[in-house]
Amino acid sequence: MTNSAVAVHGLTKIFPVPFHRQSVVAVKDLNLRIEPGEVYGLLGPNGSGKSTTLKIILGLVSPTRGGTEIFGCDSRLVESREAVGFLPENPYFYKYLTGKETLRFFGRLCGLRGAALKNRVNELLDLVGLTKARNRRLGTYSKGMLQRIGLAQALIHDPRLLVLDEPTAGVDPAGSRDIRDLILELKGRGITVLLSSHLLAQAQEICDRIGILANGVLVREGHLQELIAIENQTELVITDASEELIREIESTVARSNGKLIERRKSTTTLERLFLEATRADETKMQSNEEARNEK
Amino acid sequence: MSNGETASTLQQFNTSTSAKRYRPFSFSRIYAITINTVTELTRLKVFYVLLIFGLLLIGSSIFMAQFSFQQEFQILKDVSLGAISIFTSLLAIVATARLLPQDLDDRILYTILAKPVPRFEYILGKIAGVLLLLAISTLVMGAAFLLVLYIREQAVVHATLQQMSNAPRDQVADAIRIIQSSAFNIDIFPGIVIIYLKACLLAALTLFVSTFATSNIFTIVVMAFIYFIGHLQATAREYWLHEHSSGLVSRIFLAIVALLFPDLQAFNLVDDIIAGTAISLSVFAKTALLGVFYTTIYTLLATFVFYGKEL
Repeated sequence: MTNSAVAVHGLTKIFPVPFHRQSVVAVKDLNLRIEPGEVYGLLGPNGSGKSTTLKIILGLVSPTRGGTEIFGCDSRLVESREAVGFLPENPYFYKYLTGKETLRFFGRLCGLRGAALKNRVNELLDLVGLTKARNRRLGTYSKGMLQRIGLAQALIHDPRLLVLDEPTAGVDPAGSRDIRDLILELKGRGITVLLSSHLLAQAQEICDRIGILANGVLVREGHLQELIAIENQTELVITDASEELIREIESTVARSNGKLIERRKSTTTLERLFLEATRADETKMQSNEEARNEK
Repeated sequence: MSNGETASTLQQFNTSTSAKRYRPFSFSRIYAITINTVTELTRLKVFYVLLIFGLLLIGSSIFMAQFSFQQEFQILKDVSLGAISIFTSLLAIVATARLLPQDLDDRILYTILAKPVPRFEYILGKIAGVLLLLAISTLVMGAAFLLVLYIREQAVVHATLQQMSNAPRDQVADAIRIIQSSAFNIDIFPGIVIIYLKACLLAALTLFVSTFATSNIFTIVVMAFIYFIGHLQATAREYWLHEHSSGLVSRIFLAIVALLFPDLQAFNLVDDIIAGTAISLSVFAKTALLGVFYTTIYTLLATFVFYGKEL
């Protein structure tokens, strides 16, 4: 039997409040399992216990009751972190280091050195699209670039589990899409991804399963498609339908026991519209520049 | 970064060398944190300000030529060794106070400890970085002091040779010997080593305080308090023992006070060096051991507190 990538059992975390009798229950009796190769989304409002859960899984905070395991290894043990790459929310790194130096530093912490380290740093800089900015100090990086270098450092030791806390927070739609594509590629490679996010639309696009936390309690959990499906409703998407065909469908629905709830034009997503518009603008600027150069 | 590019890069991952298996203790991890800490501290403006002030103070001693050469050398040694002592102590406190809180505020600590890095290695790497920086600063300031002392000695020797150009050779040799013996004193070197060990002690104590402090300012204020108490505690202890019986309770109480507030006056060998009193090997060894002992104890305490810290 293979171990779950992440196993959380009976996890409770209570933070004492100094000089007060009351304490804060951040997570209450949480149980969840994430299987290898899954993309699992831990969702919930601010203060719901997402970050505390992630910190306990990473061994940064100790549980009050219960425990967590990573591939069968107690996550309080340092060796459990050999299998994990972590990207915190809004990461700050040492501003005085360049992108390359940052990856070298984290690589050395993971026992890499010499040619292996050099190769890995180059591969990752290429992967996250920062090869050109490799020798720039992180103090000059944009938020999106910081997020990408953060993702690269999380991958430096080729982990089997990637823990991402709000991976696209503060990143523009194009950068956000790049990170999303990368997560899907990593999933394709068999890497398990555990992410917490506020961006529900994005979580919907990439997660296989989700868990919703509210006030430290897991209120919903399961396969995304099963959770969001409305059992007694069906959608039909038709292209080039004539007015006559639509009227016919409506009258058929009216004759049966069904009820037509809504009739509307299909829409694209705002993200797709934004990306098309900005890419078209970039292409136009490039061709204008080329035309000027030719003159 | 297109999907195709991403996929091809990920293909390369499979062929590249994997990270080595986890070892419970690794010098290379500590070394990585140490070197990074030194880099971090040398980029701080406060480091340069302190170093420049120290060097200026040592250099300013050159302009004390209106005194007799004995007085001049005495003042030069007094001011320079005092400056090295104060600036290494200040540097130890100011540089160390920010290390842990800054990493925690910037969440870099999460990223580092989410890697297979034991907490004690993080603490060891940080303190080793500070101690290395202090060693470099002490060496730079010590070298500047010795250079100034040498330049002044040579100037006095030159002037004496000119003044005594017609004097018998024996008299000139005696005069030169007196100048050289009042300038250089072999005890300067153990004196500088003890100054460095005092700074190491203060750095380790600052690191310990910063493991439970809420801000840099809190750590610096607490350390300033400990610094002054530490310089006064020997006098206070003597007074206490004079006034009270030296029973077991008193001795335990004094031991606790000595642990919380190290006797920093014990590290003050500058007065002996200036007075020309020889520092015996036993005094040097005792003081050095005390410095190493305190530095080790505070580092262990910092590690202990940091292990239980919720991040």
